[in-house]
Formats: sequence, C-alpha cells, structure tokens
Amino acid sequence: MDDEFEDFLSSALAPPDRMPDRQFVTRVQAGIAIEEQLSAQRRRAIADLARQLVALAAVAGGLWWISRAPPVAMWLVDSPAQALAILLLAFAFVVATFVLRPASANDFSGLARLRN
Amino acid sequence: MSRRAAGGDGAAFAMLVEKYERPLRGFLARTIGLEHADDIAQEAFIKAWRAAGQYDGRARYSTWLTRIAWRCRLDALRKERKTETMDESAGYAPPSGEAEDMLARLSETERASLVLCEGHGWTHAEAAELLGMPLGTLKSTVARAKAKCRAMWEGADHG
Repeated sequence: MDDEFEDFLSSALAPPDRMPDRQFVTRVQAGIAIEEQLSAQRRRAIADLARQLVALAAVAGGLWWISRAPPVAMWLVDSPAQALAILLLAFAFVVATFVLRPASANDFSGLARLRN
Repeated sequence: MSRRAAGGDGAAFAMLVEKYERPLRGFLARTIGLEHADDIAQEAFIKAWRAAGQYDGRARYSTWLTRIAWRCRLDALRKERKTETMDESAGYAPPSGEAEDMLARLSETERASLVLCEGHGWTHAEAAELLGMPLGTLKSTVARAKAKCRAMWEGADHG
C-alpha cells in the first residue's frame, strides 16, 4: 500500500502531461516586447532630461556671468522691475521647455495601458 | 539554448519558455493556486529574459527559473502586505482533483516542498535553497506534508 500511495503522489504531483502552451509563449513574448519598449523609452527620457538640465545649467551660468559685467550689474541695480521681468521670462522659458519635452518622455501612459 | 537567450536571441528564449512553462506553471498552480499561477509565471519569464546574462549554468535552468518565480511570488505577497499569512490557504484555488484537494489542506510551504521534491524530482537541498529554509526543516516539512496526504488518502477508502 505504501508503494501504491507513493505512486499516486508522484504521478499526481508531476508536471502536467500536455503539449507546450503556444498561447502562453506568445503572451510572454508580447510582455517582453512591451518591457523592452518601455525600457528604451525610459532610457530616452532620461537622456532627454539630462540634456535639458545641462542646457539649462549652461544658460543659467551664462546669465550669471553676463550679470556680473559692470554695465549690466549697474542696469540691474537701477531697474529692478525690468530685471524681475527678465527673470520671470526666463522662468517661463524653463517651464515651457519642460512641458514641451519630446513625445518619447511622455509616452508611458499608453504603454502602461497596453501592458495591462 | 540559455547561452543564446543570454545573447539576446528571442527565438531561443521562446524555445526555453516552451520547454519550461509546463513544469513551472504546474508547480505554481499546485502551490499558489490557479488564480495567480499564470501571472507569476509570465512575470518570472520576463524577469528571466532580462536577467538571462546572469544565468551561469551552475544550477539547472528550471531551478534558476523557479527561483525567480518564487521571488516574484514573495514580492507579490509583500506588496499585498500578506507576508504573515503566507502559510495559510486563504485565496488558494487549486486545480480540481484528488491530489489537489489534499494540497488545499496543506500550508503553502508544505505544498511547495511536496510538489518540488515528490512531483518534480528536486533534491531536498535544491528545494531548501529555493524556499529559503534549512535542509533539516525542509526534510521535516516534506515528511509532515506527506504524512498528512497519506492520512487523507487512506481516509478516502484507499487504505
């Protein structure tokens, strides 16, 4: 009876005896394709962001350097309102730059939907 | 095949999926239930594809893959904040059958140990490593699970 139970257990718990499930294989392949698209877009978005931050730092550095020149510094002291307006314009430019980032950086929602 | 998959060969990986989906899904269905088995198996295969380069051939591919799947399972449990109920049968929807009825009355760890060692031919050491428990504990878990199954089997007019 021991042998009978052992036989029952090992056959009942063995992996199912069937052909490979092609549908499942296709699902896995689709999942992999989506993952790869996602990671490529993530890489692109990070590269875009890094480029934009470098550009922003360069512009900010340039402005700071110009503002240190005596005629500009004097003008800034004499016309603080205009200086403030320029600062606001620069801020608007930064906001616009980030809002209008390339499509690759904003594509995640569509892919996430596809993934689910 | 695994070397080709590690090199980014999608066709080779598809063949690996074809070869190993049956045992992996079988193990998961019996251990964690049908409801989550396919999702966890799919997630495990995708992670295996991403980590294909890390497979060093020291363990069997099926062992490596099952380890990934088990980690996915533990992560899912952690996300659900149900780690403390891991050993309970709540939410377990087994495939139907006499053996499955028996499995439903075991804890998840008992099911996993029993299915791997008695059904899938894993060594106790392999199963202990996968389940993260000492070898002695694994052996006693298998013995306990087997004894419970035997009692149920004998109680069902087989004895």
